[in-house]
Amino acid sequence: MRLNRNCLFFILSFCYVKGVDKGNFKSCEQSSFCKRHRATRETPSAYIADLKSLSLHKERAFIDVINVEANIPLTLEIIALHNYAFRIKIQEKNGLRKRYQVENALVREPETAPIILLEKKDDHIVLGLDAVNRMVIQGNPFRLDLFNKDGHVITMNGRGMFKFEHYRTRKTLPEEIPMEHNPETDSQIEPLDAEEVQQTSEEPPAEVPVNNDAEETEPGMWEEDYKSHHDSKPYGPSSFGVDLSFPGSNHVYGIPEHADSLALRDTLNGDPYRLYNLDVFEYELWSPMALYGAIPFVMAKGKEGAVGVYWQNAAETWVDVRDVPGGGVVSSLMKLVSGGASEPGPHKEVHFISESGLMDVFFLLGPGPKDVLQQYTGLTGVTPLPQMFAIAYHQCRWNYNDQEDVQFVHENFDKEDMPLDVIWLDIEHTDNKKYFTWDPIKFSDSLGMMKNLSDKGRKLVTIVDPHIKRDSNYFIHKDCEANGFYIKDTNGKDFEGWCWPGSSSYPDFFNPAVREYWKEQYAFDKYHGTTKDVYIWNDMNEPSVFNGPEVTMHKDKLHHGGWEHRDVHNIYGMLVVDSTFQGLMARGENKLRPFILSRSFFAGSQRYGAIWTGDNGAEWGHLQVSIPMVLSLSIAGMAFTGGDVGGFFKNPETDLLIRWYQAGAYQPFFRAHAHEQTRRREPYLYDETTKDIIRQAIRQRYALLPYWYTLFYENEKTGIPPMRPLWLEYPKDSDTFALDDVYLLGDSLLVRPVTESKATSVKVYFPSDESAMTIWYDVETYETFTGRGYKSIEVDMYKIPVFQRGGSIIPKKLRPRRSSVLMQHDPYTLVVALDEEGKASGTLYIDDGESFDYREGKYVYGHLDYQRGKLSFRFLDAGRYSDASWVERIIVAGLRLKPHKIFAQIQGTKDHVELDFKYEAKMHILTIRKPKLPMNYEWHLQFY
Amino acid sequence: MYGIDGVDLGIDGIVMFCATLYDPSHDFTCLDGSEKIPFSYINDDYCDCKDGSDEPGTSACPNGMFFCRNIGYRSHYIPSSRVNDGICDCCDGSDEWATGTNCTNNCYELGASAREEAKEKHDIQQRGYQLKLQYSEQGKQSRKEKQEKFEILQRERSEIEAVKLEREALKEAAEIPEKEALEKHRAMEEEIRSQRQASEKQKRDEEALAAFEQLDSNQDGVLTSDEIMAKPIFDQNGDGLVSEEEAKFFLSGQTEMTREEFLNTGFVLMKPYLTHEEEVASPPPSSTVTPPAEGGELPEIPEGETDEEEEDFDHGEADHDDRTEDSEVLPVEETLPYDPETQKIVDEAKAARDAYNEADRRLREIERDLKNIEDSMKNDYGPEEEFSPLHGHCFEFTDREYTYKFCPFDYASQRPKHGGSETRLGQWGHWAGPENNKYSIMMLEKGVQCWNGPQRSCKVHFTCGVDNVIMSASEPNRCEYEMNFVTPTACAPPTGSPDDLLAHDEL
Repeated sequence: MRLNRNCLFFILSFCYVKGVDKGNFKSCEQSSFCKRHRATRETPSAYIADLKSLSLHKERAFIDVINVEANIPLTLEIIALHNYAFRIKIQEKNGLRKRYQVENALVREPETAPIILLEKKDDHIVLGLDAVNRMVIQGNPFRLDLFNKDGHVITMNGRGMFKFEHYRTRKTLPEEIPMEHNPETDSQIEPLDAEEVQQTSEEPPAEVPVNNDAEETEPGMWEEDYKSHHDSKPYGPSSFGVDLSFPGSNHVYGIPEHADSLALRDTLNGDPYRLYNLDVFEYELWSPMALYGAIPFVMAKGKEGAVGVYWQNAAETWVDVRDVPGGGVVSSLMKLVSGGASEPGPHKEVHFISESGLMDVFFLLGPGPKDVLQQYTGLTGVTPLPQMFAIAYHQCRWNYNDQEDVQFVHENFDKEDMPLDVIWLDIEHTDNKKYFTWDPIKFSDSLGMMKNLSDKGRKLVTIVDPHIKRDSNYFIHKDCEANGFYIKDTNGKDFEGWCWPGSSSYPDFFNPAVREYWKEQYAFDKYHGTTKDVYIWNDMNEPSVFNGPEVTMHKDKLHHGGWEHRDVHNIYGMLVVDSTFQGLMARGENKLRPFILSRSFFAGSQRYGAIWTGDNGAEWGHLQVSIPMVLSLSIAGMAFTGGDVGGFFKNPETDLLIRWYQAGAYQPFFRAHAHEQTRRREPYLYDETTKDIIRQAIRQRYALLPYWYTLFYENEKTGIPPMRPLWLEYPKDSDTFALDDVYLLGDSLLVRPVTESKATSVKVYFPSDESAMTIWYDVETYETFTGRGYKSIEVDMYKIPVFQRGGSIIPKKLRPRRSSVLMQHDPYTLVVALDEEGKASGTLYIDDGESFDYREGKYVYGHLDYQRGKLSFRFLDAGRYSDASWVERIIVAGLRLKPHKIFAQIQGTKDHVELDFKYEAKMHILTIRKPKLPMNYEWHLQFY
Repeated sequence: MYGIDGVDLGIDGIVMFCATLYDPSHDFTCLDGSEKIPFSYINDDYCDCKDGSDEPGTSACPNGMFFCRNIGYRSHYIPSSRVNDGICDCCDGSDEWATGTNCTNNCYELGASAREEAKEKHDIQQRGYQLKLQYSEQGKQSRKEKQEKFEILQRERSEIEAVKLEREALKEAAEIPEKEALEKHRAMEEEIRSQRQASEKQKRDEEALAAFEQLDSNQDGVLTSDEIMAKPIFDQNGDGLVSEEEAKFFLSGQTEMTREEFLNTGFVLMKPYLTHEEEVASPPPSSTVTPPAEGGELPEIPEGETDEEEEDFDHGEADHDDRTEDSEVLPVEETLPYDPETQKIVDEAKAARDAYNEADRRLREIERDLKNIEDSMKNDYGPEEEFSPLHGHCFEFTDREYTYKFCPFDYASQRPKHGGSETRLGQWGHWAGPENNKYSIMMLEKGVQCWNGPQRSCKVHFTCGVDNVIMSASEPNRCEYEMNFVTPTACAPPTGSPDDLLAHDEL
């Protein structure tokens, strides 16, 4: 087994030589802790839980877990959480060094729940949230089993891969440790720290040769080299890992960000999925390689239900995924305590491995996939409702050269009557890559430029990266240097790396003073030339360090509080965005909702805005992978995401660009972007047909903004993302569990973008409720598709296969405008698609589209319902918004009989107004003409 | 409140002459014929017609058009998407009739300035067009001249071709006797030369032996360093002493030298000094009256001579001392003069050759000229030859960083303002304007390849103006440049009055 894997590794390594980029990033084999943990396979667990040590408090319990080989006691803390979740923490009982506890990821300290001791035996203890949702702690070998209403759902350490590398002091002289010799790097190994030599030389020399401790002699434990980079590892090994299996679950999802399928694949024959925020140049598709962000959250999907695990750790983390053939998980003991859990069939197992920090794991017991999402977002937060412009169309390029260029671009959108909300300025707009400044010549009049944009209801986004140019005349650098705000080198000096501006330093956002400082920089009197219509893009925040190991920060660099970069790496990007968010709040006196785009992210980043899938390429494969990537992010809490339309690198062929616009129009974050060295590709530059197709695609997005906006509002309330895998709504339809080409917007629109070159038809999977046959209506033709399974749909270049679910009501605005702000007062069209029983319902959320007034109740959130000849609009809560617009058109699809008359009654009036309508008998479509229904009132229509 | 009453408002947003299609006494048929609707549906803020024709005054139809009457200024259509969106698009503000947006009617101001502008434009166009006519005249003249010259040259070419053939025959005929005579002459020369070499060697050996006897002070047949050091003539560095090193040099690195070795090697080294023996008695060079060539220069060592070839000419006369002549006593290769008969044959052959070469050179000249004319006649100088006078001229434009150069029908280039070399952005390719306006864009292509990218190219947009000026230059796509070139050649014939330049007459 092991031999095989090594052989494979050899073959793979050989292949790596061809891939230009892959060679710049570590494989598990090159990351010593990952290699050590992977080697733990197939060995019996060396850990036992001393059940007698149980100390039970109201909402938490403590038990000692002992490494029997090294006799190192660990403390297991179990915390019962509100909303069906357990949290456990494991760390050394008497640790030499404190482990980093992730901060800033949780929205607040989670609400705890009473813990119930359900059973206490010599060999196991059962702790419960209630009688059903419970955790079984087995003593020897140490193992945890979790149960919910579906039975046995999670096992931890069932396969004995738990390994916890405790902090220790180094025993041998470093020279005695055999190093893996690498002729390329050997000469660059830094001389040893004098202090370290001092310490170690105190050991009796005679002991050195006889020390056979494997942990001491294993390479990479006390220092590690990768390419020309040295990791001094002053604290030695500190990693931990454990297997988590999901009996009954054949699919696991999550742990973004990877350019891979939504359902995670077995990684046995390759590298594990890696979570380590990296700036990857021209990333590979269908690969477990790490990308820009990391969310250590998995959801396991069983036949019906789902459970989740949030592995709260910010260090480099690897996740092996395994298809377990079945059997072997439920011990005889389990059968005893679980009340008859049968031997599990084939299922999924994951193996989490983290380099340092506290072991801090949340078990989310569902029992359904939406419950898991609510549990997860209950912990880490939700995306606050964005401003309307943020979910409209964004036009970006590296770079729009000057203020005239910006003017030219939005004028041309107007000439072509293509809607556009936001223009973006990449790094070249600054004065020599000094963020918070403008190129004094190219953008000499940014305020004038802003006025032209604002006059059309448009916004500007400028880039602000966290690497700071080391220029003694640059105020940010002067401040950061003077105040000691930068991340420090091992010698205590400011770390200097290389990034866009050349020599740069990186503010240490773990220092609260730095966050406060960064926040202040966005004030209008500090960031000159900006207005309330300027929003922010934080890029390169992994952080990207061009000359650092794997293009990022060295792990032994130091942060506020003495933490090593190793401990906190994956959070850095989020803290940059957090500070920016606070800045945008403060500059406008907390009135307008901020908008920020970030490339790097961690669990919790959803609270600050949007992220995009980084530097993709103009290839069909990149368009295809954008769907599972966005879905994977969505089910990990990141509701507001999308990929660069057109592909960042390379020049897209016209048909690819068209298909990408059509796909992007139906993804949450809709932005076109292009690399500096590509040809211009703004849609107005194309031939008439292409322009028309792209115009239609963008207009479809704008027409659906009321629906998108409602979905984002509901996401803030529930944590359920706008873009959803089919199984989130059809959890029992196992055919939906591994689809990467089709998805739902809300629960009402099924979208299957065309992502294949020269396609004349696509196969669309239509999901269905088991009880009733779901009807799907083509949104353009109202052609219906009924029943579960694949159907072939013909597509020309104009066609975007989108279907509305029978039983839903979708609000639209069909009047095209130059920007979303200008649509604010436009009337609604309601599309009512009836189900088999002739019923439909939906929701609509309306507010001013930009401010926080909605949190003061200035909004309308209403329920639309049609059944038995009555269409009604009722407020769902106390929100009221007097400026809401009106309904100009109602389309009812699937109405079998033509009504004789239709009357409207608006709440508060006694009038029954008769309405005009038209009925197309062949298609069963009723169109009510201009009912003039005001959305700031409740109303109903009666069909006779 | 939400809609407007079509009847009350009148038919807003349509052109006057279309108004007849909107007859309140009849039902309205959508202009595309797709639907028949009650007249009250016109402009009622609901889209009934697929073509948008029922809502000329509202934003209800996505594909509708709104007519800005703009009295005082240019009337025009705007898309319905601009109606009642809170932005004043018509100068008369008529598009914001329902939003309460505070639009000021500035049509008269705009009209006045548009008229002004139109007048200016008209004026420019007129003047530009006059120039264009002149260009065209010149261009036609130039084409005519070229054509004529081409024909003349063609005639000349055939003449000279005949001449060349004739002279080639004569040349070949004259070269046969020349070859024979010269072979004979060279044989004779060779014989004389070998005789002379033998006698020269003998003379030299004698001279060497004499010198040896003189240098070998003790007459032991061996020359020693002591003997050398005793002769001040060997003082190379002018310090008044002959050092051991210096002696060693002349003894080819040894301390002594036999007679035989002296004949073979020593003499060659010492000869230059021996011939100057008499001068040794005179004062050292430093005190001579003649100014030194270069300050403090040491007397030349023979080997040093080779470097002299590389000397900079800049040193001029001062450098041109006589040492070159002195040291490079080249054995003048004495040539045997031709006998009169040979001389005559050689002279005749040379004359024939010269005549032939002259004809050949002339032919090539003519061919080159023909090709140039042909190439230039192939250039598309426009239907009226109006672009022809631009050929041969270059125009420059300087921005913050670069100076751009555009030479129509030749090339375009870019040069950094603060030093650095010129980069070719492209050479004359073709006219690339749209079908109806082919001559509005000149394409220059196949410029210098970009690093890791395409070959540069440059698109020059021609617009009407009185002078030939580059107005702007930019690189909108990587390695794809664009220039805006204002020129009389792009001026269309002005039509009527300035007002005709305004789209509509409702000013």
